[in-house]
Amino acid sequence: MTPFSNDQINIAALPQVEAVKLEPISPKYFQILVFNTIIPFAVFALAITILRLFVDSDHLIIQIYWYIISVLIVLSFGQIFIFKLGFKKRKYALREQDIIYAHGFFINETTTLPFNRIQHIEVSRSFLERRIGLSTLKIFSAGESGGDISIKGLPKSVADAQYAFLTNILNERL
Amino acid sequence: MSAFNFSSPSRQSAKGIVVILAVSIYKVVKATIILIIAFFFKYFQNQNSIDFTNPIVLSSIFGLLLLFLVLAILKYRNFMFHVNDAYFILKKGIINKEEVSVAKGKIQNVYIKQNILQQLINVVSLSIETAGDDKTEIEITALSRDKAAALKQLLLSGGQPILDDQKTETDSPIYYKASLRRILLEGVSENHIKSFVLIFGFIIGGYNDLKEFIEQLSISHEVSNWFRLDNESFIGLLIFNAAIVVLLLFLSFMLSLVKILVQNFNLTVTRSKNGLEISKGLFNKISLGLIASRIQTTTVSTNRLKRSLGLYQLAFTQAMVNKKERQKFNIIGLSKAQINELLNQFYPNILSNNTRHKPEMYFVYRILLISVIPLMLINTGVFFLPKLFFLLNIPILLFLGLCIYFVYKKKYYSIDEQYIIVGGGGLIDRTTSYLEISKLQAVSIHQTIFQKRRGLASVKLFSASKSLSIPHIVIANARNIKNYLLFKVESENKDWM
Repeated sequence: MTPFSNDQINIAALPQVEAVKLEPISPKYFQILVFNTIIPFAVFALAITILRLFVDSDHLIIQIYWYIISVLIVLSFGQIFIFKLGFKKRKYALREQDIIYAHGFFINETTTLPFNRIQHIEVSRSFLERRIGLSTLKIFSAGESGGDISIKGLPKSVADAQYAFLTNILNERL
Repeated sequence: MSAFNFSSPSRQSAKGIVVILAVSIYKVVKATIILIIAFFFKYFQNQNSIDFTNPIVLSSIFGLLLLFLVLAILKYRNFMFHVNDAYFILKKGIINKEEVSVAKGKIQNVYIKQNILQQLINVVSLSIETAGDDKTEIEITALSRDKAAALKQLLLSGGQPILDDQKTETDSPIYYKASLRRILLEGVSENHIKSFVLIFGFIIGGYNDLKEFIEQLSISHEVSNWFRLDNESFIGLLIFNAAIVVLLLFLSFMLSLVKILVQNFNLTVTRSKNGLEISKGLFNKISLGLIASRIQTTTVSTNRLKRSLGLYQLAFTQAMVNKKERQKFNIIGLSKAQINELLNQFYPNILSNNTRHKPEMYFVYRILLISVIPLMLINTGVFFLPKLFFLLNIPILLFLGLCIYFVYKKKYYSIDEQYIIVGGGGLIDRTTSYLEISKLQAVSIHQTIFQKRRGLASVKLFSASKSLSIPHIVIANARNIKNYLLFKVESENKDWM
């Protein structure tokens, strides 16, 4: 037991989250974002194209077909553009006592999760992530109200190293 | 030691068969309710479809009931539980065997519940709440009251043998018992506008159906006479609408009154060394023990009317998945003194914290900006009505102005060495939330691009149950708060449950 102390804390002398240099995630992850954006739009466009083959030539679908396609293209490019803007904001950092993850262009969110609040950690790899050698690191705290961190698009080696590092910390805590 | 032995596997009370039977029949009926209604509808439409006196029909119905009974008995036979030093262990399942074990230290709460059927056959159910996911639902549906109380005490003792002074705790004097008068007052002084808006919004879609429905009623002739609906005069329509509004107001008033009465009937609170014991309910009686260390956030709420009547509500949250259960941790009808006393029990020295900080004025601008949208919508509607209706804007603007004024006035936050307090509310309501810093799970700073331009940010504080938010403060302040809170959590390294 450390002796009880209750000195005034100098806020300026505390470790500062904003002073930490955050690491960017792998630029390759952008490919996955693009792919994930295009697929649903492409499926929808394909469905309409197939439908077009089976209807009469003066049907509404044929009349507005190219409008729909162009709207889909504009929407998917808009989505990708927003991802591009926000991509530079996806950053993370490990400190001695906690992990920091920041993301979001329109609403930038920097979440910090102290190690002593971690419940469990998880590394997951989707099919696409496996293809280009990326991983997602998920760190869960207790409860339902959020405050969990999920770092997508980490290089596999980095994710594995951090997983090992965090597991080590969790084991020491017990 | 208690008179009951939980160390060897035991079954629940034999009356449990009745409860299990009732629950399984209830589940089947609930799942097939549409089919059953359709069947009876058909049955009454053409009389000669199925003959209920036919022995084949009778025996198949009887056989079905027998099957349920056999299943219930098998379920009962295969339901065994016991408690060892550190774990509660439950084995269940007829064909798919399942064994659930819960570490005593991880138990968040133990409820003793009693629904109407259980009240009739004089048993209680005991359910165990953990912080895990809701798949691990543990409920023993039929135990005698004494046995349940003994099991509860054993489970909450955290693995230590029950000491004599702990045993006497169950007999400790009642701290607070809500009188019927206070419960009724609570019901009357609820913010009925809120529930009214809900019902109103629900009904407005079906407005024409409602009008038609009222016209179809046998009294429709008289009603339309009163309101002169048939001559379609504008005043008549107005009165008709006003009558609907009044009716809905009355309905929502009665609904919330009955709901509060049923939920909180016989509300009793007992204080013990490490927490509270709350019991309440009319049809579904429930009693739950609240352990101080398991409390995550505490919220005190009241409104203008309640405040002048001296009524305050206290709501606790615990780390658990089931949101439906949350309502159960409310204590209503407390006085200011009692609130302070209870707060002091769970949060020592919290009331000495007096430095309140306000959000920046951007908080107000943002609400103003957002409220322009409904104002514009209303005015486009009014545009097609006589010019006189533009006067409607005056009360609306007044209302909006008052709302915004009070939302800003009531919003504050304060952080000291141990606690975070966030106050808020609107025109009528007022809430104050308390959270111990050591219960924090994570801290995050949110900044929209609009906030960025003004150098502002919001701080979100995550606990294991509810999250609190400090909106629109200067970014440097937000960072200071975050750094300070993280420093506290990381350096003190206290347990959060």
